[in-house]
Amino acid sequence: MAKLMAWRVPEGVKDWLPGEAWKKRELENRLAKLFQQWAYQEVVTPTIEFYHTFQSVETMLEDDMVYKFIDRQGPVLALRPDMTTPIARLTVSRLLKGQDAPLRLFYIANVFRYESGQAGRQREFYQAGVELVGAKGPWADAEVIALAIEALRSAGLEDFRLGIGQISVTKRLLAELDLPPGEIQMLKQAMSKKDLVKLEKILEKAELSPGQRELIMGVYNLHGGNSVLQKVFKLIKDEEARLDLENLAEVWEALQAYNVADQVFFDLGLLRDFEYYTGVVFEGYAPGLGFPVCGGGRYDNLLERFGCSCPATGFALGIERVMMANPMARVAVASPPDYLVAGANHAKVLQTAAQLRQAGAKVEVELSGRLGPELSAYARSKGIKEVIAIGED
Amino acid sequence: MQKEVTIALPKGKLGDEALELLGKAGLPVEDVQTESRQLLFQFPREQIRYIICRPTDIPIYVDYGAADLGIVGKDTVVEAGAEVFELVDLKFGRCRFVAAVPKQAAEEYLNSGQGFSYFDRVRVATKFPRVAREYFASKGMQVEVVKLHGNIELAPRVGLAEMIVDIVSTGRTLAENDLVPVADIFEATARLIANRVSYRIHHHRMQTIVEHLRLAVGNGGERQC
Repeated sequence: MAKLMAWRVPEGVKDWLPGEAWKKRELENRLAKLFQQWAYQEVVTPTIEFYHTFQSVETMLEDDMVYKFIDRQGPVLALRPDMTTPIARLTVSRLLKGQDAPLRLFYIANVFRYESGQAGRQREFYQAGVELVGAKGPWADAEVIALAIEALRSAGLEDFRLGIGQISVTKRLLAELDLPPGEIQMLKQAMSKKDLVKLEKILEKAELSPGQRELIMGVYNLHGGNSVLQKVFKLIKDEEARLDLENLAEVWEALQAYNVADQVFFDLGLLRDFEYYTGVVFEGYAPGLGFPVCGGGRYDNLLERFGCSCPATGFALGIERVMMANPMARVAVASPPDYLVAGANHAKVLQTAAQLRQAGAKVEVELSGRLGPELSAYARSKGIKEVIAIGED
Repeated sequence: MQKEVTIALPKGKLGDEALELLGKAGLPVEDVQTESRQLLFQFPREQIRYIICRPTDIPIYVDYGAADLGIVGKDTVVEAGAEVFELVDLKFGRCRFVAAVPKQAAEEYLNSGQGFSYFDRVRVATKFPRVAREYFASKGMQVEVVKLHGNIELAPRVGLAEMIVDIVSTGRTLAENDLVPVADIFEATARLIANRVSYRIHHHRMQTIVEHLRLAVGNGGERQC
């Protein structure tokens, strides 16, 4: 019984076994290479930070989702629940001074959230992502979206789609409604959770004019290609919201120039988190997977909380989710060595192995003194293609 | 070719009412049964597939994307806490979440002249611990929630709990067990729920089904259960 207890791991975390771990490494390497080619530089931040760092940020994370513990000196520490906040901290405190904007940063890291066993959610999971700091406008938004698409492609996904929304349009429309803050908050909640039943009930109760209600629901339900933007444009009178829509149309043009417009659709009901995001937001979907594989958007207010007002946008891709969505990566097979080298003359065995490795081969050295048929049987069982048995002379 | 849509339906009476509505909305429902050994019904021509599940499992099938759409009571959606989109109030399967106590306790409560906090620190038996906890927490009350899997009304009679939280449709079961509602928590009806990815990438197909169901609900979809 004691042994069975010792075998267990906490809920929501897992071991990566040979094969699987290698697939993950290969995927991460491909992504790192891609991000570098787009001139993004890798940063690594500590796994533990002051809890305060995350507390100063209104994120989509509930307070009880953060792993917290107490430092010997007293302050509360946290396991990082996301990477955008630490990178915002690092950028403002250490990088932004004296550098020309924009900054392009990427990361591949594990993050920790106390999730209650929902679909596709582990408590420790891996993210690869980028942050583009100090750039605004449609071309910056489009660069990050296009890079997200390239990242999904280089991860081996084919049939995926990206939904693009513009959160400030909805924010403007809600602000125009002239409702008490409590009701706006309830509307926002119902909208981001896509609880249409609740949303309609609140709108009914709020005694809006039929025109106002239609506008909100009309914009919220708009979905499709470039043509839907023309439709919304006709509906909306608010100047700022119209500017935001024009911005979105320019993002579309930019995505066409990137040659990725086929992969995207507009969905103004896509809102992610109201407090955190400020402009264009997006999510990536792969067929057969019930949850998004990546997500991101513009968060122009986050850096200000660390003392520097600066526009920023970025995305994170879920490594496990991408691997789940890619049937090729789902079957994890550890690839066997090319050679098995055996023999009593250790010096010669090691010399041969070294030469083969130099030439780029994967080489296993026999350690248990197997010979003849026993050696061949072992090689067969391990799937090793060639056995080199070295004689005494 | 359009995508095949998988719809999760609950076993039993709620499922039968769902089928009636789906039929009205023009979806194929011929020979689909919610109480047979067959759990999967396919309509290749219309690209529709039904799966028959336990009601409490439906939010899970939809959350994971194993089903694109599901029909299930609001009570189950709330209790599951799954991340699913809630699209249409289907208006059938109407029932109420109530807190109920034995008749005698209810009389004492009414005579006490105190507010609902009279019941602070009681034990509450329920099949819906999440609903119960959230409700009492919102009232600033601290109760002990006892999770049971059925026949909740038995608990107060044998001294397992002082109060129950359960769904009632007619109230007959409560009355038979000498229980009286002391608080209405919320009213639940059946809902159409959707997987968040399916709803976004197959939006037009989903929206067509949603619109048809909406119309069917509007045309005399309202019934008491």
